[in-house]
Amino acid sequence: MMRLRIIRGVVFGGLAVLGLGLFRVQVLQGPMYRAMGEQNRIRLIPMEAFRGKVVDRAKRLLATNRVSYDVVATPEDVTPPVFPLLARLLEISESEIRKRMSAPREYPFAPALIKPDIPREKVFNLEEMKPDLPGVSIQISGIRYYPYHTTASHLIGYIGKISEREYAALPRDRYGMNSLLGRLGIEKIYDDSLRGWRGGRQIEVDAQGNFVRVLSEKKAQPGSDLTLTLDLDFQQKIEQMLVDKRASVVVLDLDSEGLLALASSPAFDPNIFVAPGHSQERLDILRDKSSPMLDRGTGSAYPPGSIFKLVTAMAALERGKITPETRLFCPGYYKLGKRVFHCWDADGHGSLNLYEAIERSCNAYFYQLGARLAPEDIAYYARQFGLGDVMRLEVTDMTPGLVPDRVWKEKHAHEAWYAGDTLSFAIGQSYLLTSPIQILRLSAIIAKNGQVVEPRLVLPDADSEESRPEKKRVAVSEANIKVIQKAMLNVVQSNKGTGQFARVNFDKMAAKTGTAQAPPLQAHSWMTGFFPYDKPRIAFVVFVEHGGPGGITAAKIVNDTIKLWNSIYGTGVA
Amino acid sequence: MARAWHRDTYWPFVISFAGLLGLGLLFVFSASHYDPAHYEMRQIFWVAVALFFFAAGFLLGYRTFLGFSRLFYAAIILMLLYVLAVSKARLGAQRWIEIGPLALQPSEFAKLAVLLFLTDYLGGRPIFEKEHSTLLGAVMLTGIPMLLILKQPDLGTALVLVSMAIAMLFYWGLKYRYFIFSILGFCLTAPLIWAGLKDYQRNRIMVFLNPERDPLGAGYTAVQSKIAIGSGGLLGKGFLHGTQTQLKFVPEHHTDFIFCVFGEEMGFAGAAVLLLCYGVLFYSILRILEHTTDVKARLLAVGLLAMLFSQVFINIGMSFGLMPITGITLPLFSYGGSSLVSTALGLGMVLSIHKERSIF
Repeated sequence: MMRLRIIRGVVFGGLAVLGLGLFRVQVLQGPMYRAMGEQNRIRLIPMEAFRGKVVDRAKRLLATNRVSYDVVATPEDVTPPVFPLLARLLEISESEIRKRMSAPREYPFAPALIKPDIPREKVFNLEEMKPDLPGVSIQISGIRYYPYHTTASHLIGYIGKISEREYAALPRDRYGMNSLLGRLGIEKIYDDSLRGWRGGRQIEVDAQGNFVRVLSEKKAQPGSDLTLTLDLDFQQKIEQMLVDKRASVVVLDLDSEGLLALASSPAFDPNIFVAPGHSQERLDILRDKSSPMLDRGTGSAYPPGSIFKLVTAMAALERGKITPETRLFCPGYYKLGKRVFHCWDADGHGSLNLYEAIERSCNAYFYQLGARLAPEDIAYYARQFGLGDVMRLEVTDMTPGLVPDRVWKEKHAHEAWYAGDTLSFAIGQSYLLTSPIQILRLSAIIAKNGQVVEPRLVLPDADSEESRPEKKRVAVSEANIKVIQKAMLNVVQSNKGTGQFARVNFDKMAAKTGTAQAPPLQAHSWMTGFFPYDKPRIAFVVFVEHGGPGGITAAKIVNDTIKLWNSIYGTGVA
Repeated sequence: MARAWHRDTYWPFVISFAGLLGLGLLFVFSASHYDPAHYEMRQIFWVAVALFFFAAGFLLGYRTFLGFSRLFYAAIILMLLYVLAVSKARLGAQRWIEIGPLALQPSEFAKLAVLLFLTDYLGGRPIFEKEHSTLLGAVMLTGIPMLLILKQPDLGTALVLVSMAIAMLFYWGLKYRYFIFSILGFCLTAPLIWAGLKDYQRNRIMVFLNPERDPLGAGYTAVQSKIAIGSGGLLGKGFLHGTQTQLKFVPEHHTDFIFCVFGEEMGFAGAAVLLLCYGVLFYSILRILEHTTDVKARLLAVGLLAMLFSQVFINIGMSFGLMPITGITLPLFSYGGSSLVSTALGLGMVLSIHKERSIF
């Protein structure tokens, strides 16, 4: 049998090859390998990649790396007298040093981290003492640094040490035992591209552990840099306006759909999460009652109040319940059976058309629209504008908010939907919850005549631009959107409008105020809109938690924001 | 009874089998006696279980097992799918099914399942009829579990499956031109596939072929493993006296890199004895094969031989840099219940062929 002979040949030939190979490695090269082995001459030094930088639209650094001098020690080379000496030099206890040295390491003879980020003069001290410190050396590494501290901290986020579970599950060529991972914001979402590829060196050392030569080396590849749409200067100045408030301001560039500013106050300094020490500050931040870690612009939802009347108006127009000229009467209240729903103006607004009702934010008018609409109608148009859904934005922990309807209420409140619920819904109260960024998007879509807007923090590469989906429209006719735009213009520009405090003298603004009841505390203060009215370039939202009337607190901030924007981007008319 | 045992047993086969099991046990002990997990105690249990399955294979005879081959195959496919589903849920590679304190590794049993099914399949189809469709069936039958195993990812076991299937098709009588066309086809399409790969995928393959490119991962293991074996020299450092492996320079030294422990402690002399043991075992399988006229028995023996040989070659080869590093056990030697039990069962069946030998 020819074939059996071939199989036999392969099998015994293979065993012979193994035998010869082993003879070469063990007998011929044996002494060489024995020498290498006995002195454990080969060591592996992993090299972490430098993390990519994050910059604003003008390439100003938002997140970067600074040099950190770390004291490391190879426990196998350390002699007993080293411990007290090192403890004295570094001002830490001997037992702490021992603990650090026995921490798990990635490879045998890998240096253990004793103390990271020591001051430069300590480095010199240590280098002078080097002969008395076998096994101890200084390693230079990069430490993440956020030069503007609290500015845009919610968006940029921070990085943190890899957990044991993550280390076990992630690939070795990118994640080491001491690697840092994005934990929040851009640092988390873009971790994959910011993080580079680790490298390493196999080095040969002599019997005393001194470096002899590099046997092989793989260079670490630094991560890619990332450019945000934010304007650092603009963002910083807006944040200054919000000091001591619990508030958020978001400004969107309508042409690029990039966010120019997304401020949330109070903020935190991400440096305390990445630099060694600071554990007390970390605890303080986490325990702070004003929740500085919370991004009020995207991560938290509130009742929108009267701003929502824009949506109710569009629902009523689209469903043919009214025309813009339909006049309804406001006696200062609206009666539903025995219940009385009050307008904010107890004297009543009298007879109003839709423009006037939005301009003066008349509740009674919108109660009457609520009575004509089913809650599903209002919910349908709310969802058209992305309310009740998580937005596709490069931000972590975004809230979907809540758009209620009959089904939702029965399921979650175990209660039937009452006619009164629809009335509250129509003026933006009841169960409805929206985040400021969602309200910003509502204004942006209105400013763009109904074209869907997807706000972004990172602009896509030029070459992937074509893969973007076609521009969609919301299910509201352009004519009806124009009606809303005109009504919003009156809110600011008319002398009876609720948003007059926002008015600026260099161009026309369109907006809507909101004062959302939040008993027992003061109402939440809202204002959103776009600017300039004729050729909109930005959309904005201002939200102040328990800030009082939207037409006062929020409108003043809008005024400041628009002036600020104009001083940077405006045509110089002012 | 004792006489019957004696008559039915092919002694060189049994002696090499027992010798390998015994040596394996000693070196699993050497590799892990300081390890609180005490793999050597578990390995004693597994050797006992393996002997039971060896006896079962021998006494029940290979025909019984061939009768169940389809059922066994189907069960293994389900287990492989289950393992994939679990590892997807846990976001990490997972090769085991945990049943109480035991961990089954379905890919080890998949080798046996494919061996049995392929034996039954090819053995029932003569070479001169419908060669094409039979070939296609055999490729699918091997390919399905292979893809599932590749997905785990367990490249080593997938390679073993391929070598086994090739050896069986070759012995079955598939025309030479099929093998030549396959090789040519692979050579021609390889550049195209290469061009279609993403950068990181290419990098993985390059590291696989040349571990020195990645000094942090596979390259490190390759160098340390070579140092451990080389430093064993001609006579070794003595049982339990290895320094490289004991110091954990080499990972997985009780499973995939057990040969490092052996090579370092017993030297080239020990390695030669070990190779001789495998040689005797392989020779015995070939002898048993030559003395039977049953086509299925012959296919079974060839398949098992290919399976064992490819594992020995890849495992020992990778430990001194002849082969790229893949996770694969050294049969009858490495720690691991699933591998031990499935190998012993297969060998039991092959030995049962010897009972029915024709005397000539």
